[in-house]
Amino acid sequence: MTIQLTPAEGADSLTVSEATIAATPPNRRRSRRVAVLTGLFLTATCVVMVFPFLWAAISSTKPTDVAFANPPVFRYVPTLQPYVDLWQTTNFYHYLANTLVVAVISTIVALAIGLPCAYALSRYGGIASVVLLVMALIFRALPRFAVVLPMYEISKTLGVYDTTYAMAAALITINQPFTIWLLRNFFAEIPKELDEAALVDGCTRLSVLRRIMIPLMGPGILTAGIFVFLFAFQEYLTAAVLTDINAKTVPVFIATQIGQNLPLLQQASAATVLLTLPVIGIAFVAQKYLVAGLHSGAVKG
Amino acid sequence: MKFRQFLFLITPSVIVMFGFMLVPLYRTVRWSFEKVNYGEAGTSVGLANYATAMSDPRLGRATLFTVGVTVVVTAICLVTGYLLAVLINGLGRMRPVVLGILLIPYVLPHVVGAVAYSWMFDTNFGGVVNYLMNGLTGGAFGEPLWFTSVWPNRLILVTNVIWFMLPFAMLMMLAGLQGVNQESLEAAEIDGANTLQRHLHVIIPSIRGVIGFVVLIFTMDVVRLFDSLIPLAPQATTLGNESIMYYVFHVAFADGAQNLGLGSAINILTILLILVLLYPSIRGVIREARTV
Repeated sequence: MTIQLTPAEGADSLTVSEATIAATPPNRRRSRRVAVLTGLFLTATCVVMVFPFLWAAISSTKPTDVAFANPPVFRYVPTLQPYVDLWQTTNFYHYLANTLVVAVISTIVALAIGLPCAYALSRYGGIASVVLLVMALIFRALPRFAVVLPMYEISKTLGVYDTTYAMAAALITINQPFTIWLLRNFFAEIPKELDEAALVDGCTRLSVLRRIMIPLMGPGILTAGIFVFLFAFQEYLTAAVLTDINAKTVPVFIATQIGQNLPLLQQASAATVLLTLPVIGIAFVAQKYLVAGLHSGAVKG
Repeated sequence: MKFRQFLFLITPSVIVMFGFMLVPLYRTVRWSFEKVNYGEAGTSVGLANYATAMSDPRLGRATLFTVGVTVVVTAICLVTGYLLAVLINGLGRMRPVVLGILLIPYVLPHVVGAVAYSWMFDTNFGGVVNYLMNGLTGGAFGEPLWFTSVWPNRLILVTNVIWFMLPFAMLMMLAGLQGVNQESLEAAEIDGANTLQRHLHVIIPSIRGVIGFVVLIFTMDVVRLFDSLIPLAPQATTLGNESIMYYVFHVAFADGAQNLGLGSAINILTILLILVLLYPSIRGVIREARTV
C-alpha cells in the first residue's frame, strides 16, 4: 500500500460524480433521485446522532422551572444562569482543569515513550516483537477493574491516591498498548530503505528516529495523539475509582450530579456542553487528518 | 535492527506498561484466591471465590447479556457503518460537516453521553422521545417503561452503545475506502457488475482488514460495557440487564459490598472469556507480525 498523505478532497469526489452523471445520460434522473435519498438519509442520521447532545444543550439554556418539564417546553426565554451557577457554586473549573491536565500529560508521555517502542516494533522482526505485540493486544483487552482495583489499593498504600499524576500514570499505562499498535502501523508504512541509507551515512538509530522518522510521522503522531487525548479525556471508570475530591475529573462530576435536584441536574447539562464544545471543535478540525492518517497507517489490511 | 537496539528503544514503554499492568494484574490473581478487604492482607481460601462465582446465576446472566449486546451492536454497526462510510465517501462539499457531526457521539465521554441520552427517555426530565413519537403516531406510542421494564431498557442500552460506537466503525471504514483500488472498480463496472455486486465482490473484500480491526475493537470495548449502565440502567440487577463489569463493580467496589476476592475471581474469569473471544485475532497478529 502506498502512503497517501493527502486525503481525497471534496472537490475531487464532486468532479468524479459529475463526470459519471454526464457519461450516462439515461441514468441521470435515477442518480438525482439517489442523491436526494442519500441527502435525506444522511441528514436524518446526523439529526439522530446529534440529538441527545443538542437536547442537553437546549435544556441548559432554559429557566430551571421548565428545563425538564413534561411535556417539553419549546418556547421560553433563554438564560445562561445554569452556566453562571456552575461556575460560581461548584468546583467545575477545578475538575475541568484536572481533566485537561490529565489528558495533556498522558498524551505527551504516551507519545514520548510509545514512539521509540513502536519504531523498534516496526523494524525488529524477531520473536520478541511478536510477543510484545500480542501482550499489548491482551493488555488492551483486559477488563478495567482487573487493573484499576489493585491500582486503587496500591495508590492508597503509596499515598498517591486522588492525585492527577497517579491518574495520568494509570491512563498512560492503560492506553499504551493502543498507542504502540497504532504508531507501529504508521512506522511500518515508511520504507526501511530510508533507515538503511541514513545508517550507512553514519546516523545512530536514535537520530534516525529523531531526524527522519518523526518528521515523516506527522499524520501518525497527530492521529495517535488525538486518540490518546480523547481516551484520557473520556475515561470515567478509572477516574471514578482512583480519584475522590482533589483530582476528580468532569465525567465523574457529571455522573455524580445524576439523581440530584433539578438545578444541579441543569448544571450537569451545562457542564456537558462546556466540556464537549472544545472537543467537538477538535472533531471538526481533526476529521480530515483522522481519515487520512488512519488510511495511511492504522487500518492496513 | 539489532536486538540490543530493540531492547533500548522499547524499555521505557515496556517498564510503564508491564510495571503498571502486571503488578496490579498479579494482585488480582492473588486476590482471587483470598478473602480480602482493601488495605488488609488477605487469607487464602483456595478456589472458594471461583466456586461462588460459578454458582451465582447473576454471573451467567451477566455474561450472556454482555455477549448478546456485543454481537448485536457489532453486527448493526458493521452494516450501518459501512453504509454511512460509502455514502459519506461520495459526498462533496458537505463531507467535513457530516463527518464532524457524526463524530460528536464518539468524542463525548461515554458516561456523559449516556446521561444526556437518559434525559431523552426519562419522563421525569421531559421525556422528549415519548413526546415526539406520540406526536408522530397520534398517541399510539404510549409511555414505555424505559428504565424499569426489561426489553425497553435493553433497547435504550443497545441503541446508546450503537450511538457512541457507530462513528468509530464509520470512521475506520471510511479510512479503508480510501485505499480501494479504483482500477479494479472500473474493471468490474465495465464487466457489467451492478452496484451491489461491486460492493460485495470488490470493495468489501479489499477492506476486510479494516473490518477485522473493527470487529476486534468492538469485541474488546463492548465486552467491557460499564459506563452506559450507570445512568441508563439503574435497575440493571433486578431486570437482568447487568454487564459483567457492572456486576464486578457491585460485588467489589460499590458501597456496602466490597467483596474483593469474589470480584477478582470474576475478573479472572472475564479475562479467560476475552482470551477465547480474541483467539482468532491473536493468531492473525502472530502471522502478521512475523512478516516485518
